[in-house]
Amino acid sequence: MKSFEYGDWEIGLKEIGFAVSAMVIGVGLLSLPRDVDLVTYVADGWISILIGGAAAALFAYICAKLASRFPKQTFYTYASRLVPKPIALGITVILICHFLFICIYEVRVISDVAKLYIFFKTPVEIISLIFLLVVVYAVRGQSVGILRLNMMFLPIILFIVLFVYTLSVNTFDINNLLPFFVTPPLNLLKGAQKAYLSFAGFEIVLFYISFMNKPDKAPRAVVIGMLFPIVLALLIFIFSIAVFSVTTREILYPTIEMAKEIFADIGFFERIEAVFFTIWIMTIYNTAAMAFDVAVIATKSIYPKLKKMHYVLIFTPLIYLVAMIPQSYDAIEKYGRVLNISCLVFESIIPTVLLFTSIVRRIKGENKKDKTLPKEA
Amino acid sequence: MKLTMDTIKPHSFSLNYVLSLSNAKTELNRNFPVVHIKGNSTNKSDKECITLPKKAKSKQNQNGKKDTISIPEKPTDFELEIFKTLDKNIKNFKKMMDSPADLVCKEIQVGGTSSHCAIVFIDGLSNGQYIAEQVINTILTFDLKSNQINPSPQQILTELQYKVLPTADDISVKASLDEVSLDVLSGNTAIFIDGSDQALVISSKEVNQRSLEEPITEALIRGPRIGFIEDIRTNTTLVRRGIRDPNLRIKSLKLGRRSKSDAAIMYIEGIANTELVKEVVRRLESIDTDDVPETGFIEQWIEDSFLSPFPQVQHTERPDRVRAALIQGRVAILLDNTPFVLIVPVTIGQHFHTPEDYYERWLLSTLVRVLRYVAAFISVFLPGLYVALVSYQPGMIPTALALSIAGSREGVPFPATLEAILMGMTMEILQEAGLRLPKPIGQTVGVVGGLVIGDAAVAAGIVSPIMVIVIALTAIASFALPSYSIAISLRILRFANMFAASLFGIYGLIMVYIMINVHFVNLKSFGVPYSTPYGPLIPKDMKDLVLKVPMTFMKYRPHMFQPGDKKRMGNPKRKGSQ
Repeated sequence: MKSFEYGDWEIGLKEIGFAVSAMVIGVGLLSLPRDVDLVTYVADGWISILIGGAAAALFAYICAKLASRFPKQTFYTYASRLVPKPIALGITVILICHFLFICIYEVRVISDVAKLYIFFKTPVEIISLIFLLVVVYAVRGQSVGILRLNMMFLPIILFIVLFVYTLSVNTFDINNLLPFFVTPPLNLLKGAQKAYLSFAGFEIVLFYISFMNKPDKAPRAVVIGMLFPIVLALLIFIFSIAVFSVTTREILYPTIEMAKEIFADIGFFERIEAVFFTIWIMTIYNTAAMAFDVAVIATKSIYPKLKKMHYVLIFTPLIYLVAMIPQSYDAIEKYGRVLNISCLVFESIIPTVLLFTSIVRRIKGENKKDKTLPKEA
Repeated sequence: MKLTMDTIKPHSFSLNYVLSLSNAKTELNRNFPVVHIKGNSTNKSDKECITLPKKAKSKQNQNGKKDTISIPEKPTDFELEIFKTLDKNIKNFKKMMDSPADLVCKEIQVGGTSSHCAIVFIDGLSNGQYIAEQVINTILTFDLKSNQINPSPQQILTELQYKVLPTADDISVKASLDEVSLDVLSGNTAIFIDGSDQALVISSKEVNQRSLEEPITEALIRGPRIGFIEDIRTNTTLVRRGIRDPNLRIKSLKLGRRSKSDAAIMYIEGIANTELVKEVVRRLESIDTDDVPETGFIEQWIEDSFLSPFPQVQHTERPDRVRAALIQGRVAILLDNTPFVLIVPVTIGQHFHTPEDYYERWLLSTLVRVLRYVAAFISVFLPGLYVALVSYQPGMIPTALALSIAGSREGVPFPATLEAILMGMTMEILQEAGLRLPKPIGQTVGVVGGLVIGDAAVAAGIVSPIMVIVIALTAIASFALPSYSIAISLRILRFANMFAASLFGIYGLIMVYIMINVHFVNLKSFGVPYSTPYGPLIPKDMKDLVLKVPMTFMKYRPHMFQPGDKKRMGNPKRKGSQ
């Protein structure tokens, strides 16, 4: 049955802000305390997180600024106005691979963590397949649907994090945080780099802003959206150090292990970490779904003749197969390192260069008054 | 074949006789070839089907067009025009209906003149006493003021319409037998005047309806004790009685090719989004089926997604609920012969609301709504969670509880999954059985089911007592939901959850939960996302969702329906404020 629209498939400021938050909060935050603590001393990592977060917010702003200069244009369209078309095509294709790779990484890590915390016998292959199929279920729908999903899931995540961390207040030992400012500046910067990488993912705004109704206000919304994960990361890091002290760097996923401490303290609930992780799956799901969705949108902007579903069907086996290649934790880490490099390139260097070109060459998209947007949004 | 009576008493005044033509022989010999009708306008196609030559019909038949409904051909020996000869009209009319036993057709003289007229109505549908007293008596004592002995038929018609019969609620002139027959079948009375090629139609509906009672499916502690009934006019009155706004619109239309049921769309001009109203009208007009007996039919025709387990249209028996919905900027769809009224659009959050929430003070309403959400979660997830915990994550159950569960499961031959599905099915069967049976037996089923089966199953060691508790709690929780249709959806999802949990434990549960939410964000009810105001986050509408803020704070209508007039109240001055 044909349905009429109120124009509700347009993306507003709230949607884009939530999208950035939900995209950034993914598997990165699970291991953030360990990654940062490996290079910093005591609780000084918070400075690193703050620096990394500020950098991430800055580059997110740049990405949003770039996209909002070309309202209602796809990334491929405006990139090819800024740089020669073959280069724009190349960038877009690699970007597609980049997003697919984010999705692959999330799918793989979620399966491994799930295997670690809630499964005993079920093979990783099955866990990832189920996860990927549920991701496909979201991606085959509207993009705006995924963005709305963020709005529904993010408050739940926030609630469970606050719940778990409030319960662990008893094990919070403030002495573990002392002394302050003992880390050499170079290590702080190394930590900042690690933190920055765990805030990766905000480059989705390059694509989602083209669906927005008021793109000129997008940069502010994006930065506000970035603040939430930064605050969350600070909270998680400080609690991890206060609870685990120096052992933080030996724990694979300190964010989850935190929940385990509650059991030791309160005694009634058992294995809260499994519940915590199960709910955390929701945000990882959002990250994977958005990465997949953006990859599809980007591909569609290059070759619009195929339907969304076709691309989904093409990409799904690809993601699954590549995700299943690594056999060990180290191999997965290798994926992570590749991702780190591509993140650095795609969310810092390329948007900055493009924005610079756009400003210098004074190329700007027109702000069309009409509200005719592509229906696929 | 119908029984036909051969008695013809054209001038008798008794209302209880039936007139018919004795053409039974021709009827018996008549075969009914199949004709295909296309398009919406039934009037037109009826005429077409009559004029179609037989060969063309059979050709169409062979083509077998799928989007057409085949109906037996009407006898071709009558015409739909109204002629100036009275006898011809009556004959045509009777042939059209095949002289049914309840068709009353009497010829009387128009008082004071030499003209005849015929009064046609259906016994039972029309109010016989009213016709005898108000119509027949009036016509018999009819006195043309101009004292003409032979006035023209047109003059008589006009006189009757404007001077003699205006006591009727509604009086109109119809020019074709098709329209007249529809009116007669709706309970109106037709008057054919000899010499006139028009017919007068007077409303004379027999109103036999049950009294206004409290709806059984939506009982309230506090609130009006009145529900809709099967008569559409009474229903629209019930709604209108509460909203004395001249902008309250009632658009009526007829649904169903054969049933021609009366339907009405109600909304408030200026509040309801005009696009929404247009869409509702468009969808209702797209209904192309022969029979629309209940609003459930309409619901299934106009809903956005027939694959969804969730109801995208709200139905209610309560006029106050409809009024509240209209004031919110929604649209109501009423149908004759059913007390259930549809309200569109609806979001998932509104399925958890009752009219009572607004009558009670805000604190209680808010807490009760929270309770309903808890009940909904229990109803969907508890059996699945039990299965997941017992068979996959026993470590997550607190030790003491785990021990007692393990103890109670001692000797139970089935795995937890099978146990849950077994008990879940039993519960569904009991529920269904109790629903259909007469009340006294229904209670017996409850006792037999609840006590005997539950107790005996535990005693026999087929299921564990904990399982019985889980299933009982689930069933009770699903009854705590105010909307029966949402309770059904959740029942379906409960089983999906049990399967997911039996395969993947709590991982399966969270995946089902995510899928439900993905479904919500992609589902729409008349253009409004089903997950509003959670999905597209509308903080203003959160005031009346899980939370119900004090009345004076609900200054605006729900934003999600994009109403025309957004403001609900002026600048409210709270009691005591200056």
